[in-house]
Amino acid sequence: MTVYMRRTKATLVAVAAGALMLTACSSGGGGTSKNDTKDKQDQNAKQQQSQITFGDAAASTGPAEEVPGAKPGGTLHALERDSYTHLDPGQIYVSNEGQLATLLHRGLTTYKLDSKGKYTVVGDLATDSGKETDAGKTWTYTLKDGVKFEDGTPITSKDIRWSVERLFAPFITNGPAYLQQWLANTAGSDYRKLLPDGPYKGAHLPDSLLQTPDAKTIVFHFPTAQPDTPYLMAMAGYAVVDSAKDTKEKYDKAPVASGPYKIKSFESGKSMTLVKNTNWDPKTDPARHQYVDTFDITFNHQAPDSTKRLMSDAGENQTSLSFANAVDTKSTPTVVGTASIFKRTVSGYQPFVGQINFNMKKITDLQIRKALALAIPTKPVWQALGASYGAEYAGGYISPTLAGYQKSDPLGKVAKPDGDQVAAKKILTDAGKLNTKITYAYINTAAGQEYSVAIADALKKAGFDVQRKDLPSDTYYDLIGKVDNPYDIYASAWGADWPSTLTVIPPVFDGRTIADQAPNYSHVNDPKINSEIDRIKAITDPVKAADEWFKLNAYITTDVIPGVPTVFYKQLQLFGSKVGGVVYNNVTSGIDLTKLFVNQ
Amino acid sequence: MTTMTKTEGEPALPGSDPFLSVRDLHVRFSTEDGIVKAVDGLSFDLERGKTLGIVGESGSGKSVTNLTVLGLHNPMSTTVTGEILLDGQELTGASNRTLEKLRGNKMAMIFQDPLTALSPYYTVGRQIAEPFMKHTGASKREGRAKAIEMLEKVGIPQPKTRVDDYPHQFSGGMRQRAMIAMSLICNPDLLIADEPTTALDVTVQAQILDLLKDLQQEFGSAIILITHDLGVVSKIADDLLVMYAGRAVERGSVREVIKSPQHPYTWGLLSSMPRLSSDVNEPLSPIPGTPPSLLNPPTGCAFHPRCEFLDLVGGTRCATDRPDLPAGRGSACHLTAEQKQSVFIEKIQPRLG
Amino acid sequence: MLRFLVRRTLGALVILLFISAFTYFLFFAIPHDPALLSCGKNCTPDNIALIHRNLGLDEPIPVQYFHYMVGIFAGRHFSVGDCSAPCFGYSFANSDPVWPTILNRFPLTLSLAAGGIVVFLLVGLGAGMLAAWRRGTFIDKFFSSVSLVLSSMQIYFVGPIVLALLVYNNQIMDQPKYVPISEDPVGWFSGLLIPWCVLSIIFTAGYTRMSRSTMIDQLQEEHVRTARAKGMSSRYVFFRYAWRGSLIPIVTMLGLDIGTLLGGAMITEFTFSLAGIGRLAVDSVLRTDLPMLMGVMLFSAALIVLFNIIVDAAYAFIDPRVRLS
Repeated sequence: MTVYMRRTKATLVAVAAGALMLTACSSGGGGTSKNDTKDKQDQNAKQQQSQITFGDAAASTGPAEEVPGAKPGGTLHALERDSYTHLDPGQIYVSNEGQLATLLHRGLTTYKLDSKGKYTVVGDLATDSGKETDAGKTWTYTLKDGVKFEDGTPITSKDIRWSVERLFAPFITNGPAYLQQWLANTAGSDYRKLLPDGPYKGAHLPDSLLQTPDAKTIVFHFPTAQPDTPYLMAMAGYAVVDSAKDTKEKYDKAPVASGPYKIKSFESGKSMTLVKNTNWDPKTDPARHQYVDTFDITFNHQAPDSTKRLMSDAGENQTSLSFANAVDTKSTPTVVGTASIFKRTVSGYQPFVGQINFNMKKITDLQIRKALALAIPTKPVWQALGASYGAEYAGGYISPTLAGYQKSDPLGKVAKPDGDQVAAKKILTDAGKLNTKITYAYINTAAGQEYSVAIADALKKAGFDVQRKDLPSDTYYDLIGKVDNPYDIYASAWGADWPSTLTVIPPVFDGRTIADQAPNYSHVNDPKINSEIDRIKAITDPVKAADEWFKLNAYITTDVIPGVPTVFYKQLQLFGSKVGGVVYNNVTSGIDLTKLFVNQ
Repeated sequence: MTTMTKTEGEPALPGSDPFLSVRDLHVRFSTEDGIVKAVDGLSFDLERGKTLGIVGESGSGKSVTNLTVLGLHNPMSTTVTGEILLDGQELTGASNRTLEKLRGNKMAMIFQDPLTALSPYYTVGRQIAEPFMKHTGASKREGRAKAIEMLEKVGIPQPKTRVDDYPHQFSGGMRQRAMIAMSLICNPDLLIADEPTTALDVTVQAQILDLLKDLQQEFGSAIILITHDLGVVSKIADDLLVMYAGRAVERGSVREVIKSPQHPYTWGLLSSMPRLSSDVNEPLSPIPGTPPSLLNPPTGCAFHPRCEFLDLVGGTRCATDRPDLPAGRGSACHLTAEQKQSVFIEKIQPRLG
Repeated sequence: MLRFLVRRTLGALVILLFISAFTYFLFFAIPHDPALLSCGKNCTPDNIALIHRNLGLDEPIPVQYFHYMVGIFAGRHFSVGDCSAPCFGYSFANSDPVWPTILNRFPLTLSLAAGGIVVFLLVGLGAGMLAAWRRGTFIDKFFSSVSLVLSSMQIYFVGPIVLALLVYNNQIMDQPKYVPISEDPVGWFSGLLIPWCVLSIIFTAGYTRMSRSTMIDQLQEEHVRTARAKGMSSRYVFFRYAWRGSLIPIVTMLGLDIGTLLGGAMITEFTFSLAGIGRLAVDSVLRTDLPMLMGVMLFSAALIVLFNIIVDAAYAFIDPRVRLS
């Protein structure tokens, strides 16, 4: 997904501190507060290489592994910038809501983060991560015993069917559409024709697509192979909705909880209080805990505010943290440089990979794109995001959080973040394209201005005739998202929906998806990429598929050059001295809420 | 300035034991542009029950003199030297508290524009009663009764209802009557009326002057009537003081000054006054030139730049030597008594018609 | 007086009607589609069209406006819920009902404004009057220069400094937060004390300068001189005559400020992370949330208009010339 946050007006840079689209990511750093910087980074590096696995019944059995030193009781205070817009699972897509959903909602599967920092996709409501038959087309789930909604009613296959079918109703517009598209075997919004009113007027999906033979069993019959189904079912957007208490549009304000916490009160834009859900049975849950009595969440805390409060560690701030806010970039040096504060931090990746897009409709000459890619420095972007705690130089378009990540640097951007303007100029000179006109559209924020000047200067040095064009931050993506936009180069960022490259390469580089506002901002339409996408999608072995995606990534990066990857987004988070069990979770791209406790 | 400020001679107006005695009064304001000598060595006396008219153009120092007597000048920017004796009590340098006790009680003032001089926010009755209550310690009820009595005395019809009216509900003449009621409520010994009729219709003017006269007889107050209108003065005043550029230039009884004025400035004032008997087609003769700047007053006789009769004195005497005002009847001018008389008879009287 | 109020109220309604139409139609000039808020990653034309239909944006704008206006008086039915009059609809961004949301945010804004007003009136008028009373002295110069310095201060500058000094570093004061006065009067007071003081900074200077200059003007009024000539004491003259005359400009300014403050003190709310009307207004603009924006705009405008009427009515109490003419 893009870093396109209209609701928060996030910009390429601001996004690092704010709510993000929900992502599912692969193995990643579970750095804890006890480690120092170097350990944390080493740990991240190691874990990036590990392969995520789909857990069996044993791995999916509760209760979850105890957090060392955890004590029950107490209240934690969360200082959040953004209020929660959606609480109905079907409408949840952004990361801060997905993160909250780990406390409130349960789906068929979930991610288990163990004490060694390894992620496993395990059965959540279901007994395992899914039984695949018919070459990845049929997936069968069986519900555990003792899983209940907050009112004590058992969760049955009827609820799962209902939760899937209601996604087709017209009022569900914000959540992910993968499952619907897979079932309907269509792209775009055509899936709605399958069940135009959802389940609300008595119509249901046919057994040929979704079968619920008994109260415990759910069988999905996809028309094509969908090997990523275990990942998909872990998305908050596919969590369970109480069929008996579905209030349609109103459910978004007052959902029925199935997770360890339920909503006691919610004043949109002001505050939210979560209390224990007594009908949640830890024995059924392999991933979550219920140590804290109450979560007291308040909104409107901008990053500088939450950072200052947590840095002060005074009074109530000792039992405070921010679920989603990162450390304010301006305070990062102090936080990192003060041992007493730094030990109260965790850091990790966000799912986003930044790039400077080249508009393939306008820059058709590969030599020019090659020269651009060589000349563009990535250091200014890295610095604008807060240097090493906000970003890491990217060698390709696939994030270290994705399954089977392989480190690579085909364009030499990691080794030379300042760019190589001399080599670029030589390419231009050889091709007789010196002084090629380049219109560089940049987002008009303080950071955007700063790094765009540095990039434009480098391009001038390399022999381009650069014109900078500022675009307003709130309509930036609207403008670059137009297929016939008049700009040559512009920055964007994209994050995966789950830790497989399936949610990166196809949306960003499939030439058949080019449309206004579609994330193929470079307008790449390369026959080899298109055919490779189709081929790799059909591979059911995730390890092999990952390998093939990385090969395609290398081809795109060095042979097609639709842009230049800049950085992987990271963030640093801070918490009060009495908050225990703080672990950075790359799935929810922030602090893992399920392990928190209060150190009284 | 080439001449030093000199003390004028002791005035010797008829009668003895003056009630108000001003001696060598100097009032200076410091402004951003320099020091303004608003009053420059003024002396005069006033007896009980008598009326002194002070005439002069705007800026001649007549209003400042009287504000200084009441102590209403701004103490931050004003320097006052000289003596002001009210019934033997020294007022220059008196404490604010002392002055507060005298103001509205022993001495009162009537201002030119009764619309702006009365507060729009309080009823006429309240404003009239306030000094009475303050100085006699009377209750509100007594104050109100007294205010009604005073309103009746100054000729306001239906005083019992009008007492609760606000000033803007009164006509101009009624407002001035209310002002007079307010100033006389404590039966003051000294009443200073600063252009009391200027803002009023001619018919109302006469009524107000009659009222002042009547009330003076009843209360026995001494009145200082400040005006630029010799016609008003001639109706009511006993004595007359003509001021120019912060100094007195002529003094005498009303009759003397009007019938046989001695100072060229007084001549000018008289000539510029329209008369009923004169031909409507005959132009008035205004005094040529403009009033002098008090920041930087002319040397010698302050009137010399505007004086028609410099030649008669001859030389540069008028420009260098400041004439004194003699005690009693007289004028501050270098012309000899004979010259004054002949010029007045030959040149001025014809103009007056 | 009754006629005056009726006439002014009718006038106010016309103004509000005009503001509502102006805001509503101008909203659509924003080059930003509110549907983009609600389509997550699936912003296909079909999905956007569907959201337009869900939000009622598929009708012609005048028809939408008509429904909106009718809804205010007659109530409306929405898929997210029924909305009885006064119905300002539901937020595009998060389906919050507009009117209850505004009412929910208002107590904070009211508390913030009320406390701030008390502080800046006490300090501002006090300093201004003292400066006028001691005109030209050291006190006057001191207050005049302090007010000049303060008027160049900004909340977003002073706020964080005050927080750092009093809250984060030394813990002298409580972290600013809002607790309803009905729940905990002490917490309400201590939680808002810093925001009140900081909010009042920018206003205090204005009131100091204004009260000083109007008092000085008034002290030079002839009727004030008359009062002195009557022998009234300086204090009496100052507080009864001059003060009364300087009330009109102060009340005028205060009326406008109250109206504006009740419409939300945005910068203060942001600085202290408080969720009041100002915050709501900014958020609704950023999210292209038409119903919330309309609601907040009309609410704020109504308050400003209301306080204008109150100010005009107050003139009648202050100045009898207005009362009787």
